[in-house]
Formats: sequence, structure tokens, C-alpha cells
Amino acid sequence: MASKLLVSVRQLSRLNYGSPCFTRAMSSITSATGSTDVDQKKDEHKGITISVPDKVDLSTITGVPEEHVKTRTVRIFVPAVNSMQSGTFNSRRWRMEFDERERWENPLMGWTSTGDPLSNTEVHFSSKEDAIAFCEKNGWDWFVEEQKKPKMRVKSYGANFSWDKRTRVSTK
Amino acid sequence: MSLFQKIGNIGKIFRQNGGLVGSYLKLFRTDDLKWGTLVGEDKYGNKYFQNDYYFMGRNRWVEYPLSVGHDYDASQVPPEWHRWLQYIADEPPSQLPLPKRKWMADHTENLSGTERCYVPYSTTRPKVEAWVPPKNNL
Amino acid sequence: MKGMKVKTDSPVTRKAREGVMEFLLVNHPLDCPICDQGGECDLQDQSMAFGSDRSRFTDNAFTGKRAVEDKNIGPLIKTIMTRCIHCTRCIRFASEVAGVDDLGTSGRGSDMQVGTYVEKMFKSELSGNVIDLCPVGALTSKPYAFTTRPWETRRIESIDVMDAVGSNIVVSMRTNEVMRILPRLNEDINEEWISDKSRFAYDGLKRQRLTTPFVRNNSGELVATDWETALFDIAQRVKDANPATIAGVAGGQADLEAMVCLKDMINRLGSEVLCTEEAFPMINSGTDFRSNYVMNTTIAGIEESDLVFLVGTNPRLEGSLVNARIRKSWVHNEMCVVLLGAPVDLSYDYQYLGDSFSVLKEIADGSHPIAKALADADKPMIILGSDAIQHNNGSLILDTVKRIAKNTKKSLNHPDWKVFNVLHRNASQVGALDMGYKPGMDSLKCDKPSLLFLLGADADKLNNDDLHGNAGVIYIGSHGDAGAQMADVVLPAAAYTEKDAMYVNTEGRAQVGRQAVSPPGMARHDWKIIRALSEILGVSLPYDKLSDVRGRLAEISPTFDRPGRVEETGFDNVSDDVTIDKITHTGATAPVVPALLKLRDFYMTDPISRSSLTMAKCVQAYDEAEANPYSKPEAI
Repeated sequence: MASKLLVSVRQLSRLNYGSPCFTRAMSSITSATGSTDVDQKKDEHKGITISVPDKVDLSTITGVPEEHVKTRTVRIFVPAVNSMQSGTFNSRRWRMEFDERERWENPLMGWTSTGDPLSNTEVHFSSKEDAIAFCEKNGWDWFVEEQKKPKMRVKSYGANFSWDKRTRVSTK
Repeated sequence: MSLFQKIGNIGKIFRQNGGLVGSYLKLFRTDDLKWGTLVGEDKYGNKYFQNDYYFMGRNRWVEYPLSVGHDYDASQVPPEWHRWLQYIADEPPSQLPLPKRKWMADHTENLSGTERCYVPYSTTRPKVEAWVPPKNNL
Repeated sequence: MKGMKVKTDSPVTRKAREGVMEFLLVNHPLDCPICDQGGECDLQDQSMAFGSDRSRFTDNAFTGKRAVEDKNIGPLIKTIMTRCIHCTRCIRFASEVAGVDDLGTSGRGSDMQVGTYVEKMFKSELSGNVIDLCPVGALTSKPYAFTTRPWETRRIESIDVMDAVGSNIVVSMRTNEVMRILPRLNEDINEEWISDKSRFAYDGLKRQRLTTPFVRNNSGELVATDWETALFDIAQRVKDANPATIAGVAGGQADLEAMVCLKDMINRLGSEVLCTEEAFPMINSGTDFRSNYVMNTTIAGIEESDLVFLVGTNPRLEGSLVNARIRKSWVHNEMCVVLLGAPVDLSYDYQYLGDSFSVLKEIADGSHPIAKALADADKPMIILGSDAIQHNNGSLILDTVKRIAKNTKKSLNHPDWKVFNVLHRNASQVGALDMGYKPGMDSLKCDKPSLLFLLGADADKLNNDDLHGNAGVIYIGSHGDAGAQMADVVLPAAAYTEKDAMYVNTEGRAQVGRQAVSPPGMARHDWKIIRALSEILGVSLPYDKLSDVRGRLAEISPTFDRPGRVEETGFDNVSDDVTIDKITHTGATAPVVPALLKLRDFYMTDPISRSSLTMAKCVQAYDEAEANPYSKPEAI
């Protein structure tokens, strides 16, 4: 009889990202392989559940100063398309940005200074859930600004020349 | 050098620096007592001395006028005397005056740290123009 | 054709594309290094993506490149017509979106030119958008010329407060300075446009600024001082004042956070006198129901409507993008527009009913043909301008319009469709009313306040007679304008690009604006000033962080907690039923006309645009254009 190899996969539940804590479900995938002693030993762990804390907070070990964890708010957003250009490449990924801190003019050279180490953070995410998980893990307050997508409309070139509609254009 | 010469030198120093009291005051002001021949004096009142008895590097020196008190410094020496003092030239300007060009400015000492010092200021326009309250027309 | 294969990356297509690019570039100058569009130029992008790696153009010495004379089309748009590639996007924008047929082409072939035919100002409140549209650097921003490159700036996505539309904007910041303002796409509000005031008034953020607190001395002059002195001076004034008559006025650009802090502080001091600068009649259910004072159908809802009845408003100047939306619907959906008010140029045709109140009354009675048209319409909209209800007859007008809306709704096929809409002018108005501020200063004038807090209130609607004897006036705001001049203590606060703040637009949509630059000098964020002041006055507000204030806002109204979304107003029928019939109609009713009639009035309406040199230049250019005997007299 072939024993079963237990492979546990941690799966991050992404359905309830808005709730304050995360649930991590342990699911098991079984596959039929040859039986060894090791497999026999692994069989002993069958049915044992390992509980992982719901909320993982790395802020105590990341080395980020407490001030920059507790007082910062992250905005999670998709950058707006530059209204000057038609390209959309930069508006495909989610980004996070911190609240603005004070900037001042350096009295020596007139350059602009800031004391904010996070102002140049540029982290991209493929989904807002990833961005939220990242902020949660680092202990930052966050809010999501939903993506604004352009509406596509049906347009007809002939409308410019229709004789009884207001779409007829005077200037060509 | 015999002992007598040394005692004689001390005598010369005291004589040149105005006796016991004068020497004490000179020592108080310059931390140094020397004797030498007066080579010249510039228009600011600095007196220049030379005595080859002293070692090279110490054989030419300047005595600043009493008017500057303790606020003397090397930048009070005009460039033509600086030339002689720092062994750039052998002849002092009193013997071999330098040509005076019309574009030459008068010497000024270094004014750093004084009230007349240069303070840099911004020449750019301020980024934000502040509101000035209107004057009261009562 | 069915089954046809389109190859987009074969050597042949690539070569064909290179050929097309070559034709475009042969008539385009190679001045990218000194071109303001450099770095955000569509032609540059395309030549990088599709163009050849070298030029075959060798005729520089003999005939040279095509060159076209530049044109002067006003103080906002700089034209370098040699760069024009004749895409005619600007012409199409002007004639289709802005509704101003000022731009066109002359000549053909390589002699074709885009321009205004004769030299004149491009007179449109949306003219700045052609700068964005232009794929090359032919049309660029005059105030922004040669200041920054797009890759040097930080782009901060924020909200505009120049009108009550709440356009989404991108603020470009470099070296702690606002370099320019661009629109940000939001199909529900401004689509992809912004008005010229939103786009170009930013230089007003750098002039006439309050950078230090001021306290009026014994000889009646405002003297610059520090925060401590100013705050303790206020504390003394509060101690001397009668707590029940301490009043607060929220100005047109006040943000939600500051308004809620001011309200909580004054309430804790023991007073209820808080009002906005803009009036709104308190008849019937007044501002008790939200549906009475917001744009119920939303701006995007205009596109569903088939009949818009504008009452006492000039949407083109009061909410330019609402007007652009009406025009869009007028063009594409064959919408009908009826106007009661001043006969202004709205950039589209409308049926004009005159400006008399009696017409409005006839419609309410059902004796006017428009009443029938409203009843027959599928989704009619009535847009009441907040300007028309500012004066004494405002309550009468409001009541009549409400009655028309109620009558119209009876025969409506869509029970959820709301007919009544209000178009506000100030970014703060809806938020203030949501929060419980009283509209208008009449109640304040009755109370004769003993101490007055002005939160950016610069409309100059108060004078010393309205106040109690030697009442103190405390101004919290960003610009030295009417409010600061009458104040005894001036506290410097942040302008809208300098704070994380929320605003509610005329639809009732709360939106979050972001801080782009730091407040200048000793200026601080408005809500923090009030928070600090409350501590000195001994009525500490329990907000230490912005999130605390936002939490307080969420307690007041759930709409403040859902930024970006518009909550449908409820109790529509209830609010209609509360009608007091006994409205005193005394004497002749003034004509229902808005204040902003000509484009000239549009440019300078608030402390920021009043401080702006660019806006002043626009007014000047408008006057010069008017004075030109050869220009035809125009309505706008």
C-alpha cells in the first residue's frame, strides 16, 4: 500500500483583505509516491494542525523606526495616466506612497531637504491585495484608492457628417 | 657665542624694546622679544625688522602698530611687504619699490569674523511671496 | 475581412512604420532638448518605438525644414506652430468638447496651418486642455514654459477646490513648489478635462501668502509675531468674549477636517453659531435633507437625462465640467436644454425663458409649456444654481423650483430618478452643510457675535456693523485677502495643495486631496492649528492624528467615510412633502440671474485665483480682446 506524502501549502486567503486580520488556511495536497521510512515518520504528523498567527507583524524586526511605522499612512493606488501622453504602461501596476512630510529649503545651497526616509519609496504590486498584505505586514495604516478606468464609447466617424444631428462638425 | 655676547644681546633687546617695562609689555603683546635693524615701515604703521643673527625664517619680522592692539594678524601686511617678509624677494620695497599700476587696489586686511565681514545672501527670488498687511490709514 | 491575418511585427510592417515616422519627422523640428513637451511627447514615444534609428534628412542647408509662424492665442497657451503635425486634435476639442469654433485649419498640403484664422484669444474656460491633447509641443503651457521637465517632478494625485465640481487633478511638484496642475481621469466627475482656473491658478499659491501669524497692535496695524503670542492673544479674547456668541464662518475652500475641528471647538466653547459664506434658504425642510442641496442625479447622470432645465445658473463658469457634460449630452444624446436666467453663451443652444420669476411660477402652476415638456420628458433634470438663491428672494425661488420638481416627478416613468439638483460654487459648501453648518450669514448677523473665527472666509460679506461692539476677528487661512484684512489675529494655514484634506463636491461625493508641498514659512495645517488652539482654550479636542479627525468625520456622516463614492440621497419624497405654503411674497421679485456672466468674471473668484498673476493676465487679455474694434462682439 502506498503511503501518502503530506505536503502542506500555506494559502493566503485573499477574500477578506479588508478585515483587520488575515486567516491562513492549511490545506494539504496529497500525492501517491513510493513508501519510505521517512514517509512513515511523516505519517505520524497527519492530523496535526500547526497554527500560524493570524496577523504577522514584521515591524518589530524590520528595523524601521517606530515613528515611521505608527505615524505613517500608505495610499495604495494605480498611478494616473499622464494626460499629456497616450501610453498606459505606468498605470498597470499598483503602487504605494506615504503621506507627505515636511520639506524645507536648505539655507546653505537653497536645495530642498526632507527628513523623510520613506518619501522615495517606490514599490510596485501586481494587485492591491499584495499591496495591502505588504502594508499589514509592516504595520502601516493604509487606504486604497480605486482605479479609475476610462470608459470606452462607441464612436462613428460618419457622425461627423450626419446632416440632421448635432454631432455634425463645422470645423474640419 | 660667548656669554658676554649673549648678555649684550639681552641688553640690546631691552634697549630696543623700551626698557624693562616696555619689554614686558612687548612680551605680553607678541610673546616674543627680539632685536634687529628697522628695514622699513609701511603706510599702515607696520614696522619691519631684520636681524640675520636669528635663524632663517625668524630673521625677518613685522611689528604691528599699537593702534591695532591685540587684533593683529598676518593679513594686515600689505602684499609688497609680504613679498619681502616671506623671502619671495631679497630687497624690501623700501629699497626697491614695486611699480604702482593704476588698477591696483588698496590693501585690506581679512575682515572675516569682524562686523564688516562678508555675509553671503541669496540672489534668487523667494519661492513664496509673503503677504504684507496694508498700512493703517486711520 | 474574415480570416484575415494582421501582422503587427513583421519586417515589412516595421519598415512601413518607419516610413510613416520619417514623413512625420521630416516636417517636425528636432528641438526636443528645448521643447517643453520633451519627455511626455507622443511623437517622441512613437519615434522611439517605431521610428528609424537614423535620419535621411540632409536638406538642412538648402531648403531647410518646414517653418510656421507662431500664433498668439492668449496668455495661457504658448504656440510653436512649426512643431505642429496637423493632427487637428485641438480643433476637434475646441469645436466638439469646448464648443468654441475658434480653431481651424487654413491652407493645404505642406502649407496647412492650424490656427485661429485671425489673431485672437482662444476664449474658452477649458482652453488649457488643448495643451494636454497636443501630441507634440506645438501647444504648451505659457506659465509652465521652461520651468521643469516631467521626470524631475513628483506627481501627487489630488483634488481641485476652485469650484464645487471637485475635479481630480495631478499636482506636479519639484523643490517644494507646485510647478503645474494637470487633470486626472475620473469618468464620474471631470472625465479627462479641467477648467483653466484649476489648471493655471497655481501661481496664486506662491503669492500673497500668510507665512507668519499676525496680531493687530494698539495702533491698529497687523504685526508679524510668533505662534505662541498669537494663540495666547486669542485665548485672552475668548476669555473676554461671551461664550454663547462666539461664531465661526467656513470659507469657500475650507476642508472637512478643519471645519469639523472648528465646529467641535466652538461647540465645546458653548456656542452653536457656525455658518458658511454661501446662503441656502432654510424654508421647507431646508438643509435637513441631503437631497435638498446636492446634485442628486450626479454629474455622470446628466448623460442619461433628456431634458435639462437650468435655473439661475451659468454652469459654464460656475462648474465648467458640468457644463462640458451637458454639452456632451446635448451633442450626442440630443438632449434639450432650457434656461431661465441670464442669456449667457453656454457653448450650446438652449431654449431661453427670460430671467423673470413669474415664468418660474407659471411653470410651477403648470400653465407654461415647459411644465408639460418636463412632465413628458423621460429623465428630466432641474439644475438650480446656488447663485440664484443668495438674495432675499432665494427662498421663494427654491420653493418654486422644488414644487416644479415635485410636479415633474408625479408623471415620471423612473421612480428612482431624482429631478432636483443644486449646482454649488464652493468646494466646501456641501461638506459644511452635511456637517451641520448653517448656510449663509444671516443668523450670524442676528446674533452679533462677540468673537468671530473665519476659516478662509474671504468673500467679504461681513463688515464691522455685523459684529458686537469690539468683537475680535480671528482669521485662519492661507492668503492675505479680505478676511485677513479685517482680522485682529491672523493664523497662517495651508492651501489645498499643502494638506491632506477631504472635500465634498456638489454631488455629495467626498474626495481625498493629497499634500503636494509643505505649507510656507510658519504656516501649518488648518486642523492642527485649531487642535492646538483648543488646547490653549482649555477645550482640547481629542484628535491627535489625521486618522482621528477622519474617524470623527465618519461618525458624523457615513458619506465622509467613503471617499470617491457618491451616496444616493434618501428621503426624497419626505423632503418634498415638507412644504410650507405660507411664503411671503413681498413686492417685485428680482430677476433670477447668476453673478458670473462673462468669461472675464470666471478667472478670479477665490483668494488663490485672485492672487494669481496668470489669472490677472487672462482678465487683461480678455479686456484687450474686447477693446479690439475688429473683434466681433461675443456673448462670452
